[in-house]
Amino acid sequence: MDARPSTCGGTYMRDPVTVMAPERLGAMHQNRISFVRSLIRKMAQQKWQVTKHDWQLSAEGFGHVIYKLTTLNHIYHLVIFCDEIADEDRNDRVIAEKWDVTFALVYGDVDVDLLSRLRTNVPLQEAGRNPNKVLVLARANKSVRVFEHLVSHLAKGQQPNAKELAEVGYILRTTAVYGNGKFGIADFGWLETTEDFNQSFSAQMCAVYILREFSLDWVHYLAQQQGGDKAVNLDLGLQRYLGIGNATGLGMAPYLINHPCVVDQWLSSRESALTAVLNAAVEVHKLAPLQHLLQKGLCHLEQIITINEHQDDLNNTAITELHDLLSNLDSLLIQSHSLLPQMKTWSELIDYASKYSLETQEILLSCLMELYPALVDNYETKMNCDESLNLPSGKRIEDLLAVLQSRYRWAIETDFKQPENNYWFWYRSQDKEEPRLGVRGEEPGEDRELPLDIGRQANRLYHALLICKPNMQLAEFLVLHPQYRAISRRVWTLGNKQMGEIQMNVLHQKSLPMHLLRCKLAVLGATKFDPRSERWVRVTFFQGAPLLNELHDGEWLFPLLPSNALNQAVLEGEVS
Amino acid sequence: MIVSHNELVSVVNKAFLGMRRSCGEADVIANMVAGLQIVGLNGIGHFNNAAQFLTAEKDSPVDIFITNEGGLVVDLHGCSLACHLPVVIDYALEKMVGKKHLTIELKNCHNRWLAYNELVKLAAKGLACKAQWNNGSSPQNTLYILNQGCVSPELFLSDHLDLAGRTLHDMTIQLSVKNFDIAGYSAGYTKHIKSSALNNAQRDTWYEGISVDDEEWEVLKRTATALLVENSEQSVKGAGELV
Repeated sequence: MDARPSTCGGTYMRDPVTVMAPERLGAMHQNRISFVRSLIRKMAQQKWQVTKHDWQLSAEGFGHVIYKLTTLNHIYHLVIFCDEIADEDRNDRVIAEKWDVTFALVYGDVDVDLLSRLRTNVPLQEAGRNPNKVLVLARANKSVRVFEHLVSHLAKGQQPNAKELAEVGYILRTTAVYGNGKFGIADFGWLETTEDFNQSFSAQMCAVYILREFSLDWVHYLAQQQGGDKAVNLDLGLQRYLGIGNATGLGMAPYLINHPCVVDQWLSSRESALTAVLNAAVEVHKLAPLQHLLQKGLCHLEQIITINEHQDDLNNTAITELHDLLSNLDSLLIQSHSLLPQMKTWSELIDYASKYSLETQEILLSCLMELYPALVDNYETKMNCDESLNLPSGKRIEDLLAVLQSRYRWAIETDFKQPENNYWFWYRSQDKEEPRLGVRGEEPGEDRELPLDIGRQANRLYHALLICKPNMQLAEFLVLHPQYRAISRRVWTLGNKQMGEIQMNVLHQKSLPMHLLRCKLAVLGATKFDPRSERWVRVTFFQGAPLLNELHDGEWLFPLLPSNALNQAVLEGEVS
Repeated sequence: MIVSHNELVSVVNKAFLGMRRSCGEADVIANMVAGLQIVGLNGIGHFNNAAQFLTAEKDSPVDIFITNEGGLVVDLHGCSLACHLPVVIDYALEKMVGKKHLTIELKNCHNRWLAYNELVKLAAKGLACKAQWNNGSSPQNTLYILNQGCVSPELFLSDHLDLAGRTLHDMTIQLSVKNFDIAGYSAGYTKHIKSSALNNAQRDTWYEGISVDDEEWEVLKRTATALLVENSEQSVKGAGELV
């Protein structure tokens, strides 16, 4: 791995230039401290209880349902509204106005008045106003194909066709999951002071997890309505295999640029956890579990069906490489202990794996983290941070130049006079304020460009500083050039953090916002990356996760079809 | 109506970005507005007032002069203080090294209530702060004292206008390593907003949300739409749909 590790003091740690490279971030996978994993561990360890509190659906499956969540500290309710919509209204874009399912996670009890207010506002999503007892506001659409296939088969007492499930992997697909004060709901600033949802995105992930249970309850209910006594429940293995889908587009990308301290914190915590693992001595008894996890990763990639040729190529390359790694792993690790003692720590396996693609390397990293819960899991509570960008007093031009030269080379060495480095501009469209990319000089909106051009701003700051005396006070420079204060605060703050900025010029003609989307989705814990274009991806959450009645804090990395279903599909020649 | 902190910060941020100013930082100004609004001091109203003039104001650096006593005189050229105060405070802190006291005279500026949040930050740096300004409308005289270790200031208001050499568009900020005598300086003011009341208001907003005036909120949201680009065929494709 081209990790450029620091070996200072004998400790192996990867360099930010490596870790924050967009291509590597765009190959990340779920790991033990991804938010879905942390949430399930907490729910299991604290024995959170979820019960069906109110079920008011018509025979056709429309109406509302309420699930009650009881934690050690409080009660919450997930209020779900199911509405009949026309097929042509079912749209994954943010600009949609109708959804099959809309839902809200609410703090405390839901009385008649509150339910009425939610009934009026939650189905409207962005166009409604909700009380700040609402922690999460979201919506989802059916995978009509899977939904109808499941209901019709279960109603007749049959299990579904595994191929239908393998291709999709979920019954419901969320298209936005809002938290942190959006449209009047509770701020994360308040949640952060509470016991239950004090970790980033944990309330959102919890709402989605309970929605997964609802999606199963919903198809069982409808199968029962249609089939009566003939109806059966879905095979437990297949229930676990189904998660919640998610469609994510460009709107997520500006989040990563506008919250650089959050991104640094996520990646620094992951890197610290990883560093602890990579510096651990290779232990032979870890060989079998590592082989098992890598094999799971390999099978997971084999089962992913994507229409995106590039992603398909990446997956196929990784499959080949994982076969190669698995075939050599035994000798590599045993040699390290007997014949060739040079492989003392896992970092050496990582160095060995540097010949593979980033997709393969990232799968290996997630597997290694899985082997060491005691070294890794503590970092799950180190994902929040102070987002303020500050310039300390007493700094001079030379101090900021030094930060730029050491941590922003990716920006200061870019020639922004070259058209390809300035190709795109980012703007917000009137369509629900969705972020968009436009071609500079060709499309309207350049005069309202969003300031997401961090590399270009850092470059301009660098050149403005170069013409000043090195010992000039920074405060004096900023009095004369106040336009540089915002980027100066950012450069100083991020330049002094462990991982710092994502090292990506988002204006470059070949820059891929998909890398940003994949990075955040992996931190959240998404699996089965299925890009639908360069700017839009489908993923699943909680696929392979334990069901609510069997919550456990064990490993569930890389979802797989249950073996009986897989055998059925293979026999039918339906999956590779 | 009730809005969230994130919602408020986000809308002000967009509103300021839409003005395309080179002086002033959208995130800082958003926090200035939110900081004032969450203590019940009409941050949105002050920002809306500023927004009416911001795009027509000069968009250039302030001029700073050092007095014989070592104080600072800052000419803001009739601009909003929101766009320039952070730079001035940074500079003043540098000039205060080795001193116990520093006076900053801000000349020809507007929207002085928006200084509230930036001055609050000084307490975290171990400094006490006293700010004073006159206004053409009620309340006409405002005194802000934030002593070391305090979370919120003591505010004193009066309709008695005592210009005493100051104009209606100036503001005096005094920084000190020693606390100010609150009782002494506040004599003659008719209204006192206690720091405890501001603290309570701030705490309650986390639980109850931030109360805003409906009309002011609508004005703010309208201002924030200046940043939006009209829909077009290209913008639809720009979302990444398969076409």
